[in-house]
Amino acid sequence: MALSDKLARGRQTLIPWLVPIGVLLFWQLAARAGWLSSRILPEPLAVLQAGFTLAASGELFQHVKVSALRALSGFAIGGGLGLALGLLTGSFRKAELALDTTLQMIRNIPPLALIPLVILWFGIDEIAKLFLISLGVFFSVYINTFHGIRSVDPALIEMGKSYGLKGWGLYREIILPGALSSILVGVRYALGFMWVILIVAETISAQAGIGYMTMNAREFLQTDVVLLGILLYAVLGKLADAFARLLERRWLKWNTSYNAA
Amino acid sequence: MLPESPRMNNDLHELGSVSAAAEHPGLAVGVKQLVKRFGERQVLHGLNLNIEAGEFIAIVGRSGCGKSTLLRLLAGLDATSGGEIQLNRQPAEAFKDDVRMMFQDSRLLPWRTVVQNVAIGLEGSAREIRARALEVLAQVGLADRADEWPNRLSGGQRQRVALARALIHRPRLLLLDEPLGALDALTRIEMQRLIEQIWRQHRFTAVLVTHDVSEAVALADRIVLVEAGRITLDEPVPLGRPREHGEAGFARLESRILKRLMTVSALDSGNQIKGRITEIVVDSVLSEVRILTPAGLLTATVLTRSLSEQPLELGADVLASFKSNEVVLATAGG
Repeated sequence: MALSDKLARGRQTLIPWLVPIGVLLFWQLAARAGWLSSRILPEPLAVLQAGFTLAASGELFQHVKVSALRALSGFAIGGGLGLALGLLTGSFRKAELALDTTLQMIRNIPPLALIPLVILWFGIDEIAKLFLISLGVFFSVYINTFHGIRSVDPALIEMGKSYGLKGWGLYREIILPGALSSILVGVRYALGFMWVILIVAETISAQAGIGYMTMNAREFLQTDVVLLGILLYAVLGKLADAFARLLERRWLKWNTSYNAA
Repeated sequence: MLPESPRMNNDLHELGSVSAAAEHPGLAVGVKQLVKRFGERQVLHGLNLNIEAGEFIAIVGRSGCGKSTLLRLLAGLDATSGGEIQLNRQPAEAFKDDVRMMFQDSRLLPWRTVVQNVAIGLEGSAREIRARALEVLAQVGLADRADEWPNRLSGGQRQRVALARALIHRPRLLLLDEPLGALDALTRIEMQRLIEQIWRQHRFTAVLVTHDVSEAVALADRIVLVEAGRITLDEPVPLGRPREHGEAGFARLESRILKRLMTVSALDSGNQIKGRITEIVVDSVLSEVRILTPAGLLTATVLTRSLSEQPLELGADVLASFKSNEVVLATAGG
């Protein structure tokens, strides 16, 4: 019985992978048979090989490092500001009154629409990329923090006050933990958006990074490296999402809806 | 639920060794000409009430009569619109830390464990606080659930945690806002016994707001009926403790207060509607009576037993009065 259970579970984990593996195999076959031009779609093994070559020369890690650092610093700046301002406007009516309308107006501008202006202001330097990423990340963290704080159950706050909590204690015990699940939703959105903006920013111009690598490869018609770059973005995005999920499971372990996953 | 009882009794033994009683006598409460308005609507109309130190009083009344408002004012959760609340003949603010409230919904923090919830608002070394919280949790019979999340507990267990959270502050006035309203009958009786034991041990003053007259009779030294923001009945409960729900004296007092509660609400014409019985659907325990009123068809659920004691006829004129969460029917004759 235990064995059949194990087999059943093995089948459960196997089945979702059948289609991707099948597609890969077909792709490999099609490329080998010459149905696909290697300029349009090189065979998967060639992509892997390109990855190994670039990794061996150290070039790959250099590019990944630059891109990841760029993304994370932008995220830290934008997310940090979003969190701080969200906490401020969420906690104090006066701050909301003073700031929220302005922020909501700016929010309606798509960050990517600002690219020409950003290039005029900062040139095509590192600062331009950081600015775009920070701006893109800022609003999802800001709005979710603001809403998280506003949606903390007032009954719990009342209980806390009547049990002697005030100031920072009230914040630490009730308001922040109450807002946390909403803040983490904002962080997950922000991480997703962070990669989108990074890709666009790096594609415009860069001296290093995954975007630079793929643009360069395009010039030399190295489709395998272009594919490798796309794959790397996907892996990094998945890693960031997994990290956010880990935080959710750690910090929200009291919440049964995060336990099951 | 049942397996909990023996453990609870053990813990109550332990409780005997904790002698908090002598150091913490209850607070005397003096409420004078208390007025509370919410905008245009006046909820309390110059209410007067005196409670002796260490007394257990129960406030009963329909929903919206102002009993919960009174309790919230006593707790300092809302500001009064007029009148005065004194504790031990001094302004109530002086005793803010000696007053604790137990809410109808337990209001436990879902992101804190049971023991952390009990310790909320306490200051001092973490180990000392935990030890104290565990001790109080033992008093309510939940020491073994200390490190669990509140959402793993049953409703009754949550209310016990909420009780422990109030007790750890050694309150001199404990306010109970229908804390057992959402519990099933057996758990409710268990909790009533626990509250009574703990009150007898600690001798704080207790004010219990409840819908349930039998709960009031089981626990209180005195029952106060609040109607439309005023006290309309103030009745001592001359029964020894512990009280049994089935006793003759208990049942007599309960039915007298219930009857009074019903008459007062029935007199309030805003809660009544006249109609004619169109259909009676009899079932084993509960039966449905359909009444055609000027406002439409009304369905009242009544005990089949009471239907056999006081038969209703099809086509008879009745007066339906809405009480807190039920409908009371009166025929034209009786």
